[in-house]
Amino acid sequence: MYHVAGVDVGSGTTKVVIMGEGRRVLGVSELRSGADLEAAAVEGLEKACRVARVDHARIAYVAATGYGRYQVGFRDVQITEITCHARGAHYLFPGTRCVLDVGAQCTRAINVDFHGRVRKFRSNDKCAAGAGRFLERVAKALEVDLEQLGELSLRSKEPQPISSVCAVLAESEVINHVSQERKTEDILNGVHRSIVDRLAALLRQVGLESEVTLTGGVARNIGIVRLLEARLERQVNVSSDAPLAGALGAAVLALERMRKLGAEGTHLYVREGQA
Amino acid sequence: MLIAEIFDRCRALVDDTDLSTVAAWKAAHPGAKAIGCFPVYVPTELVHAAGMLPVGLVGGGGHIEMDHADSLVQSFVCSISRSTLELGMTGRFRNLDGLLFPSICDVARNLSGMCSRNFPALWVDYIHLPQNRASAGVVDYYRSELARVQVGLDVLAGRTTTFDALAASIQAFNQQRAVLRDLHAFRRSFPWLLSTEELHLLTNAGSVLDVAEHTNLLQETLNLLSMRKGKPKDRIRVLLEGAFCEQPPLELMKAIEEAGCWIVEDDLLLGRRWLATDVTLNGDPLRALAESYVRQDTVSSVRHERPRRRADSLVERAREARVDGVLLCSAKFCEPALFDQVLLRNALEQAGIPHLALEFEEKMGVFETPRTQVETFVESILFA
Repeated sequence: MYHVAGVDVGSGTTKVVIMGEGRRVLGVSELRSGADLEAAAVEGLEKACRVARVDHARIAYVAATGYGRYQVGFRDVQITEITCHARGAHYLFPGTRCVLDVGAQCTRAINVDFHGRVRKFRSNDKCAAGAGRFLERVAKALEVDLEQLGELSLRSKEPQPISSVCAVLAESEVINHVSQERKTEDILNGVHRSIVDRLAALLRQVGLESEVTLTGGVARNIGIVRLLEARLERQVNVSSDAPLAGALGAAVLALERMRKLGAEGTHLYVREGQA
Repeated sequence: MLIAEIFDRCRALVDDTDLSTVAAWKAAHPGAKAIGCFPVYVPTELVHAAGMLPVGLVGGGGHIEMDHADSLVQSFVCSISRSTLELGMTGRFRNLDGLLFPSICDVARNLSGMCSRNFPALWVDYIHLPQNRASAGVVDYYRSELARVQVGLDVLAGRTTTFDALAASIQAFNQQRAVLRDLHAFRRSFPWLLSTEELHLLTNAGSVLDVAEHTNLLQETLNLLSMRKGKPKDRIRVLLEGAFCEQPPLELMKAIEEAGCWIVEDDLLLGRRWLATDVTLNGDPLRALAESYVRQDTVSSVRHERPRRRADSLVERAREARVDGVLLCSAKFCEPALFDQVLLRNALEQAGIPHLALEFEEKMGVFETPRTQVETFVESILFA
């Protein structure tokens, strides 16, 4: 029996999933990535192993993904976030045909086949507007906890428009609304609407198909989820594990590799000190 | 010496576009001369036998600015020709006494003429390598061409090269080729213990070192490699084809390997391995060199081959090296490589070997696009 790990080193948080042979999740961890990405990956793996009650030396294969994947020195393979989020979304909702991954810095729309394999994808431009980091800055400017953004925005009666696609200029617009004594929930709702506009446009570029699954940290924002559903005129799959989708996908792909390597008889990847 | 120190030394040698190593060699050998040899293959044994130092010209890499050469060469010509000219126009050939160009493409031919005109202090010769290997007179022709070049070198050196001296030089290069073969075999078996970037540095250091010193360096590295430890990562095995003349930046090789490939076979710095087996000495060493060139099975875009032969050879090499895919990695504006690319892609397609075409130039500085291309290629194979 062996275990694998999926390590997603994102620009905001590092997520680790420990998975058993039967694709069962045994343990997860989530922590801030900080400036030392390798250290975050090591700490994340140790934490997830403790939760899973698995000796980390027993991890047979590590697949790394995310913006810091090349910093994971103990990885066996690195995989792009696009492939991992596609597989992760498919793992959470097997009927998924479109994935919208909204992370701290990147937003991606991915069209997948019945097996969760990537058919088409589009990423946002370099600008962080439409991604989690922008929401963090807005939360700071409005002195609201990040976790409360979604619920608060749902109370809006008079959403305030945010027209800029640039995160910095959009933040200026937010401050302008604050100076005009607009209600916080109305400003937030306007921010969410501007983000959802861009998400919907990105999704249409890869071909909108049912089912749509939202992954990444922003999936925790209920305000975004509701607005997105209204804009797409359909229900959107959201799991409480949505932020872990990249790490889940990496773990699923790690299992696939283990099975293939075993079948090919070329399993070279037993760690030092292991039988 | 530690293995890391060897690689550091090689990097310093390779980065030194002022050829100070050549200056030091000349200071240690008063009166001796140094000849720059343009890729791909030049019979360096002739230069060595004349008591001179053959210096490999491998362009300017990313180290020099093209301030002068662009006034003489169009921007749609390969980087190595422009940077070679730039090296000369900025006085970096001051430690060289001559230049030898092989007949590999129109650009190399024209470059030899431009060097003759622009650097009158240098002896410049153009060696006509035989293109038709099937002709009955090919060995005789090439022997006479080698003899002609040898005479020119002898006049420059002010001495006469004897058969014994040439035979000794051939032996010296045979030894170098043998260790290079061993290093390539080592990388093919243990690519996680010797990266392509490291192998390239080791090989390229031979561009400015005397053959005996380079052979010793290679042998010492090989001995140390057998003690090196490392854990293999899950990567695909690839063959890299198309970089036989102009060399890709080391960062590109590193990016390709980091993106999930083991490069286990390549045609980088092909000239040093052009004669894949030892030159057999049997009487006339000039004839032995000529026969070796003609009989060798090295197939490249810079030697005329029947189209099927060129394509079949790549497929055979890919199968022999047990690769998962082929990277057709050619220099921007390299006509020989690009002419062959359709042929090679079709052959790989028919053989069911996955492949990816990449393009490079000496001064490229951003490697994110090729890294993403290679990562996607790797994922399409690993998770097919």
